[in-house]
Amino acid sequence: MDERETDDRDLMSRVAARDGGALARLFEVHAPVTLGLLQRILGRRSEAEEVLQEVFLQVWMQADRYDGARSTPRGWLLMLARSRALDRLRRRDSARRREEAAGGEAGEAIPPVGTERLESQERKRQVSSALGALSPDQRRCIELAFFEGLTHTQIAERLEAPLGTVKSRILLGMNKLRQALSAHA
Amino acid sequence: MNTPHTPRIEELLPAYALGALDGDDLRELEEHLAGGCEECRRQLALWQGDLEALAAEVPPIEPSETTRARVSRLAGGMPAASVAPVRGAPWWTVAAAAVLLALALWGLLGQARMEQEVRGLEAERDRLQRQVEVLSREVGRMRTDVQQAKQDLQVIAAPGVQAVNLAGLGPSPGARGRTYVNPSTRDALFYAFDLPALPADKTYQLWFIAGDKPVSAGTFAVDPRGTASLRVERVADVPQIQAWAVTIEPRGGVPQPTGAMVLKG
Repeated sequence: MDERETDDRDLMSRVAARDGGALARLFEVHAPVTLGLLQRILGRRSEAEEVLQEVFLQVWMQADRYDGARSTPRGWLLMLARSRALDRLRRRDSARRREEAAGGEAGEAIPPVGTERLESQERKRQVSSALGALSPDQRRCIELAFFEGLTHTQIAERLEAPLGTVKSRILLGMNKLRQALSAHA
Repeated sequence: MNTPHTPRIEELLPAYALGALDGDDLRELEEHLAGGCEECRRQLALWQGDLEALAAEVPPIEPSETTRARVSRLAGGMPAASVAPVRGAPWWTVAAAAVLLALALWGLLGQARMEQEVRGLEAERDRLQRQVEVLSREVGRMRTDVQQAKQDLQVIAAPGVQAVNLAGLGPSPGARGRTYVNPSTRDALFYAFDLPALPADKTYQLWFIAGDKPVSAGTFAVDPRGTASLRVERVADVPQIQAWAVTIEPRGGVPQPTGAMVLKG
């Protein structure tokens, strides 16, 4: 366990004991990467900031539920954020489908999820060096699952690829990702 | 009975951690996990750790001042002492701190709810606006149709209107046509029924014969039901019109008829 993780664990137990200063410190340290992840998933900055506030509110309310044996505090925060953002994305998708259904021929304008996702292609290229170790196909499948919350079947439909191919791309990609991440570490 | 821990089960774990597993695979793994497999639990934690590391690799973004202020209000409004009773502090300070805490939380949650409400209303407004646009276009189309119908009626219901029936010939014996000419305005209406559609390089052309000479009254195409209508304004030499005819001509029409005659009357 590195020094930062020890500090984080200490902060988490202080937050659980209702120490506002510890929450502020946790925010200082982890809000930027959490916001980066939220922005990557949601695309819209204002929405990402809003979810970030919700995440820290949830941390404040539920810090006592954090289980140090299962994840690092940063990992817990990021997974909380990812799960909230994916929920938001699904709600946005179903609202879009409802609007399209109601709007009939006027159902235009709202771009499909994913096209507005990133601020720019340039930005996309910078994202995550570990993903860079994967083949473009493996990377695409893992990104769709991780950043858009799609399942095997949904990815196969989105990419118009056979289901078996998608499954093996994800399995191989995840194994390669582990190697890349341990190399970084 | 618990399902055995197999290499296949292990292969399902990364996708499960990723949330990508579905269908039979998901059912199979969940059934296995329900048996409390320790090895799977250990491996899942490792995959989870990998995903956490992946999440942490996105480029960080500094939160806005608004977000920073809201979270620090939350943190600042609730120091440890405000919730945990402090020995020796008067009871009312603890109560006041609890009220402040409740207000701070209520404010933040209320704001989040309100913002969500506003977004919902904005989406609803945009949807209604699009519906209004569709309906306006529809009303516009209907106005044009009504205008057209009025003009057509002025021809058909005019006193002294001259109506001529056209009968199908040669290639389209079942086709029919009808012309109406208003002698005072010299406007004419032509309707065709049961004419077959033509290839793209051909068109139907309407003619009237006046003083033994064919004069073009315009070209037209038929709809999928084989019907068509054509309005002809300022028909020359109305009293001289001896007959009406329709021929098949090259696209764009021709000055003098060259193709097969399909209607005449």
